[in-house]
Amino acid sequence: MQPDVSVVLITVNDSARLPRAIASVLGQSLRNLELIIVDHAGADDTAALVSRLDDPRVRYVRRDTPSGHRGAPRNAGLDAARAPHVMFLDGGDELTRHACKSLLLEVERTGADFAAGQIARPAGATGRTQRYRPELFRPRRVVDGIRAEPRLFLDGFATNKLYRTAFLREQGLRFAENLHHEDHVFTAALFCTARRFAIVPWTVYLSHPAAAPASPPPSAGHLDGVRDRVRAAQISDAVLRDNGCSDLVGHRQQRFLAQDLRVHLNKLPRHTKVWIKEFASVVRPYLAELEPGVLQRADPMIRVCCHLIAADQAEDLLVAARSLTGPKAAPRHALRVDGRTYWGTRAHPALDITPLRLAELPFAASRIRHEVGEISCQGTVVSMTVRTYDPFAVLRRWKTTAELTVKGLRVPLAPRRQPDGSYLTQVEVDLARARLGRLGFDGGRDVRVSHVRPDGHRTSDRLLVDPATPPLTLTAGRHEVTVAPSGDGAVLRVSWRPSRALRRAARLRSLRDLAGRTELKLWVYRGLIKVVPRRRDLALFESDLGASYTGNPRYIYEEIRRRDLPLRVRWSARAKAAGFPADVPLVRRMSWRYVWTMARAGYWVDSHGFPLDFPKPKGTRYLQTWHGQALKTVGFESPDLRGDFPGPRERWHSAVARWDALVSPGPEFERVFVPSNEYTGAVLGFGSPRCDVLVNGDPGAGPRVREALEIPEDRRILLYAPTYRDLDRRGGTSVRVDLDALARALADQWVVVLRTHPAERFTVPERVRHLVRAAGPYPEVNDLILASDALVSDYSSIICDYACTGRPILLYADDHDDYVRMDRGLNYDLREIAPGPVLTTTAELVAALRDLPAVSAEHAERYADFAALFCAEETGKAAARVVEAFFSGLPGEKGT
Amino acid sequence: MNAVVFACMDADTLGGVQQVTHTVAQGLALRGHEVHVIGLHQAPEPFRYVERPLYERHVVQRRPLGEGVRWVARGRVARLLASIGPGYAVLTSPGAVSWLADLLPPRLRAIGQYHGSYERARGTTHLASVRRDYGALDQAVFLSPEDARRFAEEALLPNAAHLPNPLRAWPDRTSPLDVPRVLGVGRLAPVKRLDRLITAFARAGRTRGHWELHLIGDGPELTRLRAHASSLGIGDRVVFRGRVPAARMGQEFLDAAILGLSSEHEGLPPAVAEAASYGMPSVAFDVSGGVRSLVLDGTTGTLVPPADVETFTAALSALMADPARRGRLGAAARARAAALRPENVLDRWETLFAHIRR
Repeated sequence: MQPDVSVVLITVNDSARLPRAIASVLGQSLRNLELIIVDHAGADDTAALVSRLDDPRVRYVRRDTPSGHRGAPRNAGLDAARAPHVMFLDGGDELTRHACKSLLLEVERTGADFAAGQIARPAGATGRTQRYRPELFRPRRVVDGIRAEPRLFLDGFATNKLYRTAFLREQGLRFAENLHHEDHVFTAALFCTARRFAIVPWTVYLSHPAAAPASPPPSAGHLDGVRDRVRAAQISDAVLRDNGCSDLVGHRQQRFLAQDLRVHLNKLPRHTKVWIKEFASVVRPYLAELEPGVLQRADPMIRVCCHLIAADQAEDLLVAARSLTGPKAAPRHALRVDGRTYWGTRAHPALDITPLRLAELPFAASRIRHEVGEISCQGTVVSMTVRTYDPFAVLRRWKTTAELTVKGLRVPLAPRRQPDGSYLTQVEVDLARARLGRLGFDGGRDVRVSHVRPDGHRTSDRLLVDPATPPLTLTAGRHEVTVAPSGDGAVLRVSWRPSRALRRAARLRSLRDLAGRTELKLWVYRGLIKVVPRRRDLALFESDLGASYTGNPRYIYEEIRRRDLPLRVRWSARAKAAGFPADVPLVRRMSWRYVWTMARAGYWVDSHGFPLDFPKPKGTRYLQTWHGQALKTVGFESPDLRGDFPGPRERWHSAVARWDALVSPGPEFERVFVPSNEYTGAVLGFGSPRCDVLVNGDPGAGPRVREALEIPEDRRILLYAPTYRDLDRRGGTSVRVDLDALARALADQWVVVLRTHPAERFTVPERVRHLVRAAGPYPEVNDLILASDALVSDYSSIICDYACTGRPILLYADDHDDYVRMDRGLNYDLREIAPGPVLTTTAELVAALRDLPAVSAEHAERYADFAALFCAEETGKAAARVVEAFFSGLPGEKGT
Repeated sequence: MNAVVFACMDADTLGGVQQVTHTVAQGLALRGHEVHVIGLHQAPEPFRYVERPLYERHVVQRRPLGEGVRWVARGRVARLLASIGPGYAVLTSPGAVSWLADLLPPRLRAIGQYHGSYERARGTTHLASVRRDYGALDQAVFLSPEDARRFAEEALLPNAAHLPNPLRAWPDRTSPLDVPRVLGVGRLAPVKRLDRLITAFARAGRTRGHWELHLIGDGPELTRLRAHASSLGIGDRVVFRGRVPAARMGQEFLDAAILGLSSEHEGLPPAVAEAASYGMPSVAFDVSGGVRSLVLDGTTGTLVPPADVETFTAALSALMADPARRGRLGAAARARAAALRPENVLDRWETLFAHIRR
């Protein structure tokens, strides 16, 4: 029977790794294949190894002319292939188990000339498979020729593909022999020829790193690698031109800048200056022949590097290359002219790095470059000199103190200004004082230098170190510590490994884990509440599951303090919670003390829900204050509970049954929220304590926010508070406004304060940090509301609270239908009740913000209706009335 | 012939997955395969799906779901599996896959099934389980071509295929569709959103007083739904029929005209398939690849955007008003449902086995 696929496996003198490659083919889920092992003149025991294979599907082809390249053996294998489909595999690598069958089906299904899948580096020490540019391989699709997606030149591998053998033969597609990077040339011809190909997103090929040579590479000989790449690029361009694809040359050259050149630039700091000069002279001619426009489309820092190569500035090139990797270091020097920012000291258009916005960052986000000079260690003390460059004059604009931090260690620094504008610091760090942990974990931290302003704002950056620096090893306490450059970026990193005795002690961890189990705590708690009596003068408060000191519980607590009620209050706080006043006693959420306090407290007050399975002790009074109006579906109507699993519904039922009283913002809330949760207890409908301050105002809020988030007085504040998406928690997809477009349009007038939902994770890209302040961790949302000039939100209940202020509200709901129908669902028709315009593009949002007074006037009536629906009861006296109603029975109560 | 092992968390509880498993098991056994059905847990109230099973049944531990000791049970399963094969092991849920996948001997090729929609998996932990465990199996099987495609893309599965669940039987007679009755079939559970079906029926039936809505199934929502119907003034026209035995379901389809499917989530809804086999059109929310594979909008029924009660009402109304159209759509639905005839689905299973052997 004819096999479905021929796998051409080439190998030379690599019998150690060959069995893995062979096993990956013979273990394919596709059984009907042949494996052609091409041994190109190896001198080891490969032949013997293959002859021991007892599988009729294996064929062995031996070539006696040695070749340092992969082209000739692959061609030999291709000639020998008997199957209608063929794949190529290199001896050190592997195919994933379904590679052949899944690509074969794809070709059969789509009629494509070839199918390509994800290529990846297997999980090494990092424990994670590294996929090569996964964005190229998703979604699964059929591409009608490379012109439809020229960026696919970035997929320059021959190995992650399954080809129709006849297609390769008919088109004469073969590998160039006597050439390195024959894949690049081959794929250029392939993409140029193929009319139709399929792409799949799953990993089909695992590329193992070559067995690393022990000695560091810097020597002139290794320039061959650069020459080879440039040569392959030139030949590839020629292939495209010869085959009527001249229009694609520029696209392929973009690949050269983004990938091939980048590979060498990333490693540049490992080489000597002489080498770098030669490197530049090898690359320079090719850069000169790039098609017009190619350089302009490259990333700003790549463009800078290309310019420095062209200008033969080897030293500067080395400096610039460090901005490509790891922490993407700041330049040493930068120049600001007419609102543009230039790399270095000249205002040359090729050195324009304005789009990185590095010169416009607020202090806390600003970038400073630290380079380690000499470094040595004696005992546990590491000494080094650090040269600091401040290209954006951050340290000259602000008075700061400097410190070096690593894993619990803070060392004050005394940087000395040098005549050339840089700073020099002599640092001595005693690693014996670092807190490396008592329970025997391996670990590592990058060393950082921080600059701290008197007002507490802090900016920090990592330390660049010469990648050739030999690691310093020392013993600190019961840890073996290594101080060494780490990664391509070569930043200084301290890593530690517990001593053997400590590793043995690590077994205690399982005991600690056991003691920390929620099940155990719940079991103890159930027993505890039967025996210990409640204390009427003790209350447990919690807001936002212990995240911060905010919301209804905060204002109720402050009212209790104001009245001096005889109540000792403990606040629940998560490990990293911030914003609690110093005199508020905290218990860590879910700690043993927390469990004890739950059992003892006569009052529970919270805004979300105490741990679901913990029953309320007899006699405890639970005030549920809830954290927002029910714009979205809530309780049993929410997706978590309306599903077909009965467990969660029952849990929530018994959780709600614990509530003794519910704080209600008004009749509308009661109409929706109470039945949605099947709640039957008392309702305190006096308005929301958290909204009192929104009604009464707080002149301190604006200055506090501007101070904390570094917002200049001349900028207006746009609060952007999207809620999370139930179907993509922590996925970062709730931030739907195009921040880049917003920055282009508004950065000179506005600052966007981005308040994402606690169930969301989103990192603001550095290039928009001049506009966008991440305010997720800011402890009090009311401050943000009061400081802002307008709100943009989507389906968050913050809209209802915000309406108390009368300030403009804009709704950005580009995924409205999906959200309503497939995701969370709303209790209202947003378009009907919206207090402002419902927008679906960033351009609309920009237009609305530019014309805010008119937009507000246009929506004034709707706004009033909205406020009447949700804020009618918000009179600014809710906290007082709730406290009166709920805590009236306290003995010895004063003040009322 | 090969051995085929089906493993369920719980093989004998009354439920959709179990129904399908026993139907396919019996069918394959009739075709001469050596078939085993393994339940990892004992059902509290075992249900007998097949009168005279031609396959072997095994219950690993005499304890209900959520109880028992995992490693003890795994040991028993491993001993059991050692005596079976070569052939195929069908793991019918993400739970069964994570329990058993690593215990299978190489001569049993692993097939992981997922009986929900992609949309459903995405809202729960299932998507993560499928992503983690299913790619390593010989085959991952989903309910519809669209589900297979989306799982392949989003869970990066190279081995995703699709295979529909079979009908229990293929009726000789089709429904005359002349009884003015809308059917809703399914547990009275929140996820079925029968409140929306009742609302739509109330609005659509305002001028058609002789039409009734019959809800077949029981469940915790009964009181709420009854109150909802009364509040809309159609308490007398919404009939809660309780659970109807499978054997008598055919009569229900013969005595009705339209099937309404208002669920928030569905895999490949068996009620729609069964109605189609009786030549009955459906009005359904467009919630899954499975629903879309059964209900071709305007051809075998009407697809309505999820949660859009207004459009659902209009669709129901249009079908209530037009018996000829009901007949046309119903006939097309029956033609399409032929793919789900037990013998056709069993052919698909055997093709799947051949594909795995390829």
